[in-house]
Amino acid sequence: MNVSDSEIAVQLNKLNIVFDGQQVLKDLSLSVSHGDKVTLTGPSGSGKSTVLRCILGLVLPDSGTITILGETVTRHNIWQKRHHIAYVAQEPDLGAGSVKEVIESPFTYRANSRLRGNLDRLPAIMGRFNLSQKLLDKQITRLSGGEKQRIALVIAILLDRAIVLLDEASSALDTKNKQAVAEYLKQADNTTVLSVAHDSEWLGFATRVVDMKEINQM
Amino acid sequence: MNQIIDISLLRLAGGYLLLIFPLAIMLYLRVGMLRETAVAVLRMTVQLLFVGLYLQVVFKLNNAFLNLAWVAAMILVADLSILKGCRLKLKRFLLPMFIALLVGTALPVIAFAGPILRLPGWLDAQYIIPLAGMILGNCLRADIIGLNNFYQSIHKNEKAYHQSLAYGAALTEAVNPFFRDALRSALAPTIASMATIGLVSLPGMMTGVILAGADPFTAIKYQIAIMIAIFSGTAITVFLAIRLTVANSFNAYGILHSDILRDH
Repeated sequence: MNVSDSEIAVQLNKLNIVFDGQQVLKDLSLSVSHGDKVTLTGPSGSGKSTVLRCILGLVLPDSGTITILGETVTRHNIWQKRHHIAYVAQEPDLGAGSVKEVIESPFTYRANSRLRGNLDRLPAIMGRFNLSQKLLDKQITRLSGGEKQRIALVIAILLDRAIVLLDEASSALDTKNKQAVAEYLKQADNTTVLSVAHDSEWLGFATRVVDMKEINQM
Repeated sequence: MNQIIDISLLRLAGGYLLLIFPLAIMLYLRVGMLRETAVAVLRMTVQLLFVGLYLQVVFKLNNAFLNLAWVAAMILVADLSILKGCRLKLKRFLLPMFIALLVGTALPVIAFAGPILRLPGWLDAQYIIPLAGMILGNCLRADIIGLNNFYQSIHKNEKAYHQSLAYGAALTEAVNPFFRDALRSALAPTIASMATIGLVSLPGMMTGVILAGADPFTAIKYQIAIMIAIFSGTAITVFLAIRLTVANSFNAYGILHSDILRDH
């Protein structure tokens, strides 16, 4: 199926995951339409982050299927599926090096080589998220939590993915920056956003809020 | 040139008296390593005597196939001791590690014995066994450092590793930064010892050649050649050890198998 033909960007069908004898996800099903901005809520430990990591193939469900842009994820197509997804982890670990090196590093991957030109948009997007150009020469490890989160968001945006997964990606941001990020994502009509968040400022940006209790049959 | 003076067994036994000093220090400071020390001294003695006797036979027969079989046995022992000595569970790595050690040892030995020394009978026990042994010993140490560093560091930096997968990295692209670091730390000791050799220590091979009555300058030429051979051997073996084990260590999704790490 063609990407543009697909109404549903992400479909999770009866996912079950057991970690160390403990059930984390039980018959979880969720479908996210193309362009939707869905936010998952629920208490910590309810499996929200696991859902995102499942979609990326970083955690494998014991049963159930994941469909991304019309195709069921398998061990063979996961690498190609990841090229349609951007992911910002909670407290992102972006490795070592200067901020500039960290931002450029994903664009050295073969899969992203055609996106190198997007780096021209870097100054504009950094400005939009209130990040000074001076940061580029700093070591990434010296950045504050909020700065790191925004750098991770900048990379995610520059990668131009159809699907963006955000795991508490705004938790260290102040109101002004939270709004800047939310507004940016809101106007990106073609981008599907699935985020995990607690705070009301972020929930306001979502077109749909889903409580884990409703979809996780625990 | 003077011949090397043999040590009589009785006088060698007298040499053990030198152990009084470390033992006294250990007792005085209650270090409590007496048992390990005794076992280690005993093992060293028995192993070396056994190898000495065996090598006498191997040297006397001096059969190319027997010599190669002996080298293969040394590589297998090195392989098993890496699997045992690593903080990793590398059982599934027996074969790839054997290949990594074999190539890392064979290439420099062939270069050393061939174009450099131009030995007429390089498969002679007198040459191939000590040369392979020296290079192999260094390969073993480097592989342990390299493999431990590589897999432990991916495990420790799992978030950063997963992030690169999420950014669309292929497996080789995602492991490359860890590969680089592992190679660096495995080669660092050999690089450091090349940089200080002669100033800090007279290395074993040179000491051996001098003790055997050779001219010190000849000994030094041997040493330079063997250092280069060791360095090439360690680089080759660590590169192969990581490259060949990666295929078995990650699942189809690029996630490190948790059973590779001992604490899991």
